[in-house]
Amino acid sequence: MKFTIYQGSLQGGRANNEDRIAYCYSREALLMVVADGMGGHHFGEIAAQIAVQTLTEAFQREARPEIFDPFRFLQRSMSNAHYAILDYSLAHKLDDSPRTTCVACLVQDSIAYWAHSGDSRLFLLRSGKVAAQTRDHSRIRLLVDEGVISQDQAATHPERNKVYSCLGGDVSPEIDFSRKTPLERGDVLLLCTDGLWGVMPGEELALALKNVNLMQVVPGLLQEAEVRGGPKGDNLSVVAVCWEQGYQEGGHDSAVSTQMMSPGEVTTKLEEFGRQSGHKMELTEEEIEKAIIEIRSTIEKYNSGK
Amino acid sequence: MAQQANHPLPNGYQLEEYTIERQLSLGGFSIVYLAQDAAGVDVAIKEYLPNSLALRTEGQTCPVIAPEHLGAFRYGMKCFFEEGRALAKLSHPNVVRVLNFFRANETVYMVMEYEHGRTLQEFIIKHKGHISERFIRGVFTRMLNGLREVHSCKLLHLDLKPSNIYLRTDNSPVLIDFGAARQTLMNEQPILKPMYTPGFASPEHYGSRKDLGPWSDIYSVGATMYACLAGGAPQAADARMANDELVPAMVRWEGQYSDHLLEIIDWCLSLNHLYRPQSVLSLQKTLVTPATNAADAPVAKPPDNWVNRLVDKLRS
Repeated sequence: MKFTIYQGSLQGGRANNEDRIAYCYSREALLMVVADGMGGHHFGEIAAQIAVQTLTEAFQREARPEIFDPFRFLQRSMSNAHYAILDYSLAHKLDDSPRTTCVACLVQDSIAYWAHSGDSRLFLLRSGKVAAQTRDHSRIRLLVDEGVISQDQAATHPERNKVYSCLGGDVSPEIDFSRKTPLERGDVLLLCTDGLWGVMPGEELALALKNVNLMQVVPGLLQEAEVRGGPKGDNLSVVAVCWEQGYQEGGHDSAVSTQMMSPGEVTTKLEEFGRQSGHKMELTEEEIEKAIIEIRSTIEKYNSGK
Repeated sequence: MAQQANHPLPNGYQLEEYTIERQLSLGGFSIVYLAQDAAGVDVAIKEYLPNSLALRTEGQTCPVIAPEHLGAFRYGMKCFFEEGRALAKLSHPNVVRVLNFFRANETVYMVMEYEHGRTLQEFIIKHKGHISERFIRGVFTRMLNGLREVHSCKLLHLDLKPSNIYLRTDNSPVLIDFGAARQTLMNEQPILKPMYTPGFASPEHYGSRKDLGPWSDIYSVGATMYACLAGGAPQAADARMANDELVPAMVRWEGQYSDHLLEIIDWCLSLNHLYRPQSVLSLQKTLVTPATNAADAPVAKPPDNWVNRLVDKLRS
């Protein structure tokens, strides 16, 4: 697999960031997750954190290096996340279970599989156009589909943030699945929270991300969106990947290539917000020894030919 | 409080199988020694010893680390391991080779190949303002081979400068000192002060550092080439951001070097990282493309600017 990936999150005008994002990949599979903890509910960020963690942990366990059944994997880990959130609220005797939206996408063999619950979205952007996107689980979305209100009205509707499905909460989540979607070289998969798509429509994102290096352009888009969101703007988060299958020169230098990874290896990037994540300052004696042994064996490996 | 410099290990000190010959350099984070291995071969040994966190007074071998600094000391050690890991993987004639890595005296040591020669810095000082285009092209084309290898391992050097480019006696360059190198994908914020050298560090070095990329090393390459011509470092990037007083190479050395080379230097020194060559490969491709215009031929132009102008005047 070869791809360029960027994830980032901004707080917007809110007091804290209840969005959680992560991606992880093995040699043959890539998982991306975006969860938006629901503000009205207590501990929204905890629900989002549980969702992201449950999915990434499942990936770490099961990607060997491929996921056996992608849709089942998504279905199972998202509903596990739902129950994990319920367990949490039980264990902590919370009056109301925390809730979160969740959108997750798995890519392997250059085929994308995604699932979502709530109004965090996935866009598949191809040659400057939106080739596919998730349909929000919101009342507004239904009203638009039925032709009761227009897209423009939906954008400013007072109830546009209300969702009827999410992880956590007393109703079992409704989870929608994509089709198996083969990716083309240069396709961009963008997962984001409503903080982003609410102020920057898919068409605009598609144009902005046509033939560019994500690492350079997405951070600017996030900032622009934060400005548009204004002083009371929502948290905004994004995980975007540009699929660069093929071995031609000219892939961006920042592209990730998983060719060299061992079959059991998994790399995870899970972002933490709100607090200065505790830097692991202390290296234990054991870790020092391990690092030295590792370096020495690398030296031997690369110098043996000499 | 004035910072005390650490004392190096004494000459003749036996460090595992190596005998320390003398100190080569002293930096804020480490001391580099010239030593001989058991077979009598010269090696360079880098000792992790951050000035601000560990103190070794004369006659001591083990540094004293205050308990409150132990965390930071170990964190810095992690960075030192990062450098070791990075270099161990690189096997390239234009990148210094790591030979050994070990722990002693409550700190860690990295043994590297030592070669006779001098740094580009020393070369620049010696030949102030009289470095030929041929030399520059030759050294930089090969140095970029090494840098390409570094970038292909998803590493950035982040402290490229004349004193970190070593010239063997045949003038082939070797990249040394990867103390600032970090895995590009690592998201950790530096706790120890980020390392950079004014004049050679890119504008991205100064900000939140999230824009660091191959283009940042390329800025440093441009600054290093500029220094070859100028005999000293160009204006620091942070000062340039506030008030850019850097005279473009194109203006400063017009007629003394080919327009082609001068353009490359100015291109690398663009303040906006998006305007620079985005990869070493693209820079290298341009650098090896010979100047097409005959008038650009490097040797054809006399070095003396005013004579040149006078001749031109007389001709017209």
